[in-house]
Amino acid sequence: MDIDLTFEQLVRDHQAMVFRTLLRLTGSREHIDDLAQDVFLRLYRALPSFRGEALITTYLYRIAVNVAQDEWKRRRRDDRSHVSLSDETSAWEDRLAHPDRNAEERLEEREFQQAVEEQLQLLSKIERTVLILYHQEERSYEQISYTLGLPIGTVRTHLHRGRKKLREAIQQHQTKERRTACQTN
Amino acid sequence: MSDELINLQPVDKAADDALDQRVLRALESAPRIDIPDDFAARIARKLPARRPVSLTPTHYGQNAVYLGMVLALVMLIAMTIYNGRHAAFGLAESLLLTVFIALTVWLSVRRHSVG
Repeated sequence: MDIDLTFEQLVRDHQAMVFRTLLRLTGSREHIDDLAQDVFLRLYRALPSFRGEALITTYLYRIAVNVAQDEWKRRRRDDRSHVSLSDETSAWEDRLAHPDRNAEERLEEREFQQAVEEQLQLLSKIERTVLILYHQEERSYEQISYTLGLPIGTVRTHLHRGRKKLREAIQQHQTKERRTACQTN
Repeated sequence: MSDELINLQPVDKAADDALDQRVLRALESAPRIDIPDDFAARIARKLPARRPVSLTPTHYGQNAVYLGMVLALVMLIAMTIYNGRHAAFGLAESLLLTVFIALTVWLSVRRHSVG
C-alpha cells in the first residue's frame, strides 16, 4: 500500500512532463492518456531493476521515447492520419476573446506555432525526438545521449540537422503561404 | 547589381536570425496539456501486485559447494590410492586439487563476509 502511495506521488510529480513529451513526439492528442499510462506502468515494472545510474526523470524520458516509438509503429500499421495538436474549440474561444490588434498578432503567432508543429512531425523520428528533448524539455546532451542510447556527437549532429531542416521547411511554408495570399488578393 | 547584393545581405541575415529565434521560441513553448485529475490515482489502482519477497534465505549455492568439495576430496583420495597406473591421472589430480582449493577459499571468504 505504501509503495502504491509513493508511486502515485511519483506519477503526480512527473505526469506533466510525460504528457508533454508524448504529445509532441506523437503529434496527436489521440490515445495520449493510454500512452502516458503505459509509460508509468512500464516504469513500475522496471523499478526493481532500476539501479539508479541515472535520474528517474531521464529513465522516464527513455521509456516515453520507447512508448512513442511503439505508437509510431502501430500507426504505420493502421496507416492512420494525424490529428492536429491544437484543438479547434479553444482556438476559436481565444480568437473571439481578443478581437483587437493583439489578438491578430497572437493569431499569427499561433499559426506560426502550428506550422512548426506540422513541420516537426515531418522530420525524421530521431531528429524530432532530439529537438523536443533539447528545446522543449531542456535536457542536456548527456541526458539525451543516455535516453536515446546514442553517442553525444551523434546527438549534436541530429540536433543541428533537425534545426536546419525545420528552419528551411518553415521558410518554404511561409513563401508558399505568401504566394497563395498574393494570388487570392 | 553587386551593390544591391551587398545591401541586401545584412537584411537577409537579420531576417534569417529573426526566423531562427521565432522557430526556437516555438520549439521551447510546451504544448497545452489536459491531464485528468484522477490520472495518478488511476495508475495506482492499475499497478500489478508485486510478488512477495522471501525473507528466509536459502542456501542452495552453499550446499552445492559443500557437495563439490566432498566429491573433489573423495576423488583426490581415490586417485592418490591408484596413482601411477596412468599418466593422465597426474593432470586430473592437480585439476581436482585446484578445484578443491578454489572452493575452500571461496567458501571461507563468503562466510567471513556474511558473518
